[in-house]
Parts: sequence; C-alpha cells; structure tokens
Amino acid sequence: MPKSSPAESGPEPVAWGGAVARGGAVVLQVQGLRRSYGALEAVRGLDFQVEAGEIFGLIGADGAGKTSSFHILAGLLNPTAGTVRVLGLPPRQARSRVGYLTQTFSLYPDLSVVENLRYVAGLRQVASGDFQERRQRLLPLMGLGPFGDRLAGQLSGGMKQKLALCCALIDRPELLLLDEPTTGVDPVSRREFWDVLAQLASEGVTILVATPYLDEAERCHRIALIHEGRIRRRGTPLALKQSLDLTRLELRCRERIRAEALLEQATARDTIVDVQTFGDRLDVLVSDAERGAQEVRELFERQDLALQDLQVTTPTLENVFVTLLRQEGGQPLPLPFPGGGERQRRDGPAIAARSLSRNFGSFQAVRQVDLEVRYGEIFGLLGANGAGKTTTIKMLCGLLEPSAGQVSLAGETSRLRSRELLGRIGYMSQKFTLYDDLSIRQNLAFYAGVYEIPRALRRQRIDWVLASCGLEGQGDMATGQLPGGWKQRVAFGAAVLHDPEVLFLDEPTSGVDPMARRQFWRLINDFARAGTAILVTTHYLEEAEQCNRLCFLVAGQSVIEGTPTEVKGAQPGRLYELLVPPGSTQRAADLLRGRWPSWRVSIFADRLHLVMEDGDRELGEVRQRLAVAGIPIQALRAIPFSLEDAFIGTVQRAAEAGAVAATSP
Amino acid sequence: MRSRVRAQCSKELLQFRRDRLTLGLAFLLPLLSLLILGFAIRLETKHIPIVVQDLDRSHLSYAFTDRLFATDQFHPSRWRGTDPVAAIDRGSARAAVIIPPDFSRRLKAGKPSSVQVLVDGTDANNARVIRNSFQATTEFFLRDQDLIDATQPVRARIRLWFNPGRKESLYIVPGVYAVVLWIFPSLLAAIAMVREKEKQTILQVYASGIGPGELLLGKGLAYLLVGGAMALVVMGLGSLIFGVGFAGDPTPLLVGTTLYLASAVSFGLLLGARSATQNAAVQGVSLIGFLTALLLSGFIYPVSNIPFPLSLVSAIVPARYFILISRDAYVRGTGWPGVAFDVLVVLVGAVVLFVAARRSLGAMQLDAGAGR
Repeated sequence: MPKSSPAESGPEPVAWGGAVARGGAVVLQVQGLRRSYGALEAVRGLDFQVEAGEIFGLIGADGAGKTSSFHILAGLLNPTAGTVRVLGLPPRQARSRVGYLTQTFSLYPDLSVVENLRYVAGLRQVASGDFQERRQRLLPLMGLGPFGDRLAGQLSGGMKQKLALCCALIDRPELLLLDEPTTGVDPVSRREFWDVLAQLASEGVTILVATPYLDEAERCHRIALIHEGRIRRRGTPLALKQSLDLTRLELRCRERIRAEALLEQATARDTIVDVQTFGDRLDVLVSDAERGAQEVRELFERQDLALQDLQVTTPTLENVFVTLLRQEGGQPLPLPFPGGGERQRRDGPAIAARSLSRNFGSFQAVRQVDLEVRYGEIFGLLGANGAGKTTTIKMLCGLLEPSAGQVSLAGETSRLRSRELLGRIGYMSQKFTLYDDLSIRQNLAFYAGVYEIPRALRRQRIDWVLASCGLEGQGDMATGQLPGGWKQRVAFGAAVLHDPEVLFLDEPTSGVDPMARRQFWRLINDFARAGTAILVTTHYLEEAEQCNRLCFLVAGQSVIEGTPTEVKGAQPGRLYELLVPPGSTQRAADLLRGRWPSWRVSIFADRLHLVMEDGDRELGEVRQRLAVAGIPIQALRAIPFSLEDAFIGTVQRAAEAGAVAATSP
Repeated sequence: MRSRVRAQCSKELLQFRRDRLTLGLAFLLPLLSLLILGFAIRLETKHIPIVVQDLDRSHLSYAFTDRLFATDQFHPSRWRGTDPVAAIDRGSARAAVIIPPDFSRRLKAGKPSSVQVLVDGTDANNARVIRNSFQATTEFFLRDQDLIDATQPVRARIRLWFNPGRKESLYIVPGVYAVVLWIFPSLLAAIAMVREKEKQTILQVYASGIGPGELLLGKGLAYLLVGGAMALVVMGLGSLIFGVGFAGDPTPLLVGTTLYLASAVSFGLLLGARSATQNAAVQGVSLIGFLTALLLSGFIYPVSNIPFPLSLVSAIVPARYFILISRDAYVRGTGWPGVAFDVLVVLVGAVVLFVAARRSLGAMQLDAGAGR
C-alpha cells in the first residue's frame, strides 16, 4: 500500500469483478472432498462453500490437508473422491478465472518485478494493452511502483509476496486462492497485504486463504478450522468465540508460577475451565464471569497471593483452538525433566549486552543494543526480517565478534566459545536440522552423544523428549515423515538434551500452526520455570505475548523494551473498533485514510480498527466524516492494543519522524 | 498458443542471460571441451622413444638408423651400457633395435640379414602400430637402397582419399562438435525444466492453464536458440584453431545441426521432466550424454567394432548420425546425396524425444506421489 499523505484520497478504487456486494452467488462449492496418498489420507471429507466477495480462512495444523485442498481447487491435483465446483465448473476448466498464490514463493528470483509479471500475463494470455494498464495500477497499489526493474530475488519477503499477489491478479481472477501468503513476512507488510485483500474483497473478488496466524483469521469474514483432514469448526470469528460460551479473565500477579499451579488444581471444579501463562499474565477461562472472578479472588486471598489486576474480557480464537485441542485429547502433559532440577535460581544476568554494535562494511547491522536476560526468564527479541535479530544472537553466543560493546554469557565475558561454556548453552535455529533419514530415536541418540550426556541419563532424557512431544512408542519412525510442528518439538528436545542454563531459540516456530505452537510454548515455559534463561527471536507478534520481557529491533536499534503489558501501555493514543454496515467497510476505510495516515486504519472483516492519538477530538471528526458520507456507525468501542499494533505504531511513527527507515528496502 | 510459447520462450532467455552458471555452461565449458578434446585426443602415435644398438657401424647401418628417425614417429632415447633391453625394462624406450655386426657385409654379399626388434607389448595397440611401422620402414629402406627387385608382379598403389595429408584434426574435430553440441544444450534444457519443479514455480505454471506442448515448445525454442549461438561459437572457433574448413555443400550441416540441437534439447527436457532434483537431472544427462555421444557414436571407436547388444543402442544414438553429417561437411564433402539419410534419422530422433518429453508431463498436474 502506498503511504498516502493526508492530502491524497488513498488509492483509486479499482473495480475487479462484476459483483460488488457480498453474500450472493456461491463461487466455490466443496462437497465430500477426499484425497489419499497411498495409505495416507490427507483430506478426509471437506464440505464448505464460499460466496462472492467473501474472505474465507482455512486454519489448521501442518499436514491438516490445506495444501492438498488448494492443489485440488486450483486444478493441479485430482481428488480421490468428492465434488468441487469453482465458479460452477470443474477446477481444471476454471483455471483461467482463478488466481493461485502457492505456499512457496512462485517467483523467478533472477527476473525483475516487471518481467515476472509479464511472464505470468503471457502464460495467461493477457492482451498487451490490458497488461500495461493493469501493471500501471497493480504495482503502485502494492507499493511496488518504484521497484519495477529490481530483481525479484532482491526484494524483501513482504514485497515478494505482494509481487506474487500482483501476478495472481494480472488476469483479473474472480477467485483468489492464497496458501499461507504471509509466512515469513514482516508485520508492517503483513498488515498492508491484508489491507489490499480487504480492498479486493470489497470489489467483488472472492478469497480463500490458509493461514497459521490467528490475528489474520480475525480479518476473515468466515473461517473453518481443519484438523486431520476434516473441518471441526466453521463460522465467523465472532461466532466461534461466542460458541465457546466462556469468559476470559486476564490476571496479573507477581507469583505467576505458584498462581498457575493453584488455578490448575482448581480447574477440577466447574467454573474454572482452563489456565495458561501468557508472558507476564495468566489467562483463565471461566464459564461464568462473575462467579469465576469471585472464585479467583477468594483463591488468591486464601493462599495469600497478591492479585495486581483482573480484567474480564472475551475469549480469543486461541482459546477456541485450545478447547478444540483438549477435546481431541492430543495434548501431552508436561513431564519433569530427568536429571534436571538440581539447578538453583542463580543471581546475576544469564545474558547481558552493553551497547552492542556490529558493522558490516559501512552498513550498521546492530547499533548500541542493551539487553539483559535473567535466569528463569523468557526474553523476546522481535523485529522484521533484516532488523538485526540474527546478528545480535550470533554476537550473544560468541559466533560473531561485536564491533563495539560487551557481552556476558552465563557469567563469562571472554572465551564465549570455550568447550566448558558451550556445554551450558543450547541453541536451536529455524533451520535446525534433524537428519531426515534417521529415526527420531537415532537423531536424539546422536545429539546425546555430541553433548556427552552421561550414559545413565541418556535413555531417560530421550524418553522424556518422546513423551513430551506426544511421540511415545514412535521413536523408530523416520524423522522425515514428521509434520513440521512435531519436527520442531523434537528439534527443541534435541537442543535441550544437555539441560542448558541458557537457551537461544532463533525463530523456533516459523511456519508452525497454532496448536503445535501452543504445545511448543508449554515446553519452553517448563524450562523457564526450571530456571533456564531463554532468548527467543520471532516475528510472530502474537507469539511474543508469551515472553516475560521483550524488545523490538528496528534497523538494528532497540526501539521499545519492557514486559508485553508495559509495551502495549506505552503506546500513545487508543485503539478503537468500529462497526459499519457490511459493504461500506472499504468505503469508510478509504474515507478515513484520506484524513489519517493509512496505517492508522485497518479493515478486520466487517470492522475497522482505528488508532487515534487524541481519542475524543479525533473520534468526533470520524463520526462527522462518516455521517457526511452517509455511513452509519453501528458500534464503536475502545479495545486494547495488541503487540502488533504497538510494533506497527512504533515503526510508523519513527518513519514519519524520519528517524529510521520504515520497512526494508 | 503462439503468445504463450512466446512468453515462455522470452522468459527462459531472460533467465538464461541472468544466470552465470547457465552462461558458463553455454559458452565457456563447450569451448574448453572443444580445446581439450581437440588437442588431447591423438589416435596416431608419434615420438615413440626407441633405442638402437648398432653393432655394425657401417654406412648401411647408419642409413637404416637415419631412415627410422626420418619421420617423427620414432624418437631416439638415450641409453648407456650394453644391454638395450634394460631401457625397455626401465620404461625409457618402447622398442629396442639391434643391428648385428655383419649387417652390411651380408647385405653386400646379397645374403639376407636380420635386424632384431624388441617391442614392449604392454600396450597391445601401440605394439601393433610400432610393428607395422618397422615393417614399412624396413621395406622403404630396402627399396631405397635398391636391395629388392622393383619388378614385383603385384603392387598396391595406395592413395588416401578425402584426407590425403592424413591430418588427424580433420577426423577428430567434427566428432568433437557432435559431443559438445549434444551434452551442453541438453544439460541447459534439463536444468531449465527441473529447476521449475525443484523451486515449485511449476505449480504456478500448471495453474495458468498452459498446455504441455506449449510449455515445452517455449522452453525448447529458447534453448534451441542458445544452442544455435553455441554452435556458431564452437564451430567457428574450432575451424579457426584447428584449421578445418568446409569440404563441400554446408547446407546439410546447417539443417542437421538445427535438428541435432533440437533432439539434444528435447532429450534434456525429457530428463528434466522426469527428475525430481537438479542434481539427479544433471547427473543423468551428463552420464548418458558422455556414454552415448563419446563412446557409442563412432567418435573414437569405430561403430562397426561395437558388439551386438550395445550396437543396437548405438544405432539410436543421434550423435552417431550427426558425426557422419559433420565429417561429411568438413572432410568428405559429398553433400546431400551422402548424408540425406542421416539427417532424416536425426529429425526422427528429435520428434520422438519431444513427444516423449510431452508425454512425461502428462496433463500438467501433480501426480499421486508429489506434494501434500
């Protein structure tokens, strides 16, 4: 999206399809869809339909059958059984009217932006006049206008996906199939990408999107949760959350670990349904708001625990997932780590860095970063791709010499690569490689050998990894056969086999689905509780809620630091959710973007999110502008900032102030 | 149909131009191969080290020794001591010649004299060449010295046709063209095909509704053009460096080269479409390419020497026919009447390979084994 100045009226409205209003013709109809690969049944009977102009989200675990379904809908794969009608036709015949964004980047890195676009236009036989006209409109719409000659391989992740979307749009498709389009894309680009999707939907393009991000699911009109090849829940995000019929209590207190254990015991009774640690807060699901809050208060009083804050709020989509997961019974219980536990809480920081900098030639990758991670703490290092996260981690664990500044790691300030120190450090990266052709047990045995774990403990620890991954009795399975989320947990198990004091996790959950992520974080929390210091980098901001403390890196500089609550609280202004009649959402957004910078206005399905610096005065102006345009406000309420809101706000304000470059290139 | 082929073709050419690996494969490596194969392969043996023990030391024995070294086939090797066999043992000589003390006396007396020649038989082929050479040299010496009757009833008068100077490059270089113009175009085409599968860009291509024939035509055409440029460079420089020129009508070579490139490219596309990874495709193409174009094509070993089941394979190797076309253009010069059949075979090869590649793409869908 172009960053429109207040004077401009945003991007020109583009009419794509015929239908403008939503809720009409059925564009996509899927009945009893099945697909098997030999004995493996990937898709086990999907039924759903998508209407014109709708954004429909498929949300599910890795290996849940999403990609197979997309292949079938795009006419690339024949279903084993069931019928699919795309625009009333079999998928193969509808190919020319469908745009498909595959999960892997479908661009040619050695072709330029325009060349990529021209190639797809040629394949789809777009007349050259039409091509020129659409190119003139699409590239600026995606903020790619000035980059026509840049090679696709040199674009940032977000720009690559926007270009891929341009390619999918060049033939004016009536249906867009998007398979995890924002995996690996930075938050700012992600939000811009979704703003474009909202605009396309308002112009009548129907969109089917698969995503592992729950905040993106909130931006769909309807979603379906897929688990093991079947749809388990379906409806609008709001309806799904309401269908739980539960209330969420956010608790903030000092002794989180004790409080969680206490509440965990109380879940046996009817009112308290679920408890989970989320960074610096506890989420408690209760069946009745008043009785639940009462019970929690009493419990805290009886145990002499200080309750700092208790907020009554609605459940999140995450809660819907977890409840589903519970019903499936697929959640392994936390198990004590064998041979650990003799660790005591140490004083002093586990990781500390003072004015850490690193230059590559004239490029400053990291500038003057200070951070401190204590034992038992989960510290999040956040930032877009290229913000300097990996460089920082490499300096912290001694792989890279800093250009300036000091590092202390587990009490050592020099010789960070010594054998003795390495034995106390654990490291797991996104590209952590388990050997695919070895069995899970063989992989773990290999790492146990590498870490020189005492023989007596080896077997116990390997069994512990298998049990806590929910893979008991399956240790002889080839690692390559595991879905991504499971592999990630096994990789984590391998990284902690030697019971490290300090654990570095570099993008550990990239591309892992919400359920697997939830289980993964349970493991991380267990280790933190046992006193391990954990530094984790991520660009999933909803995941950063799990951290006790975090810092945002932008262009190598730390821009905010604190607990999630502090960070969100430090945002100037307020966030409002605005409901306008369906069909006028886009118009309202365009209107408001004429007055405020476009990042302050985003579309979440039928609602708008507005960031207002000065609530009362600016809201008055919003009301007035919408009234003039004849758009009634059906509901308006203040909602809390998410970490993503805070991140985007910080980055955009910094960009507006001209202090740092907003996004990469 | 045409616009899609054009879009595909121009995209391939763009990608080809941007990638240093493919540029190297198209121009640098073929030239290198041309030089290596062109200079390194010598079937004729020259400068064979031999030792001569002349116990006669007469005019005649000197004349005989001079005759041995008159061509560059033999080369005197230094040796000391009394036993010339020791030089063979040490490996410093391939043959030892011992001229007896009564050599000139017996000859002058009109009696036969024997010269002993010991040949190292380790390399059987070379030993045969050396033996034939000695016989020819001896016969020449006798005639030169008027020691045999010139009025023998039958004499073979041999004249070499097409290549009177027995210039060896005339035999080797046209064959090198066949090897180089098979291997590199097919490698490039295979990489272009399999890379789409490896990087999964093929999904986008499938989804666009382009047909298998259009895709292959687009890619094939692009690499046919690249192959044409490669042929110009390789054949042009080859002719300059090795001094080979057209012997007759060049049009069969022009047509034949185009068809030969087309079959090489189709072969590459076929293997690219069948392989899952770039590694597998590259290894498959180069292994099959070298085995067939180098060994089963008549490039070095005569086709007639290939034993029975292998000779069937050799019969369907396009390089075998292209070598005939190429040698005709540069050496024989008979033109169309001589090679029309071979050009036809190469054409059939191109068509068969293209159809096979098209079939292996099937309906442009993922097959049961692939994807999730």
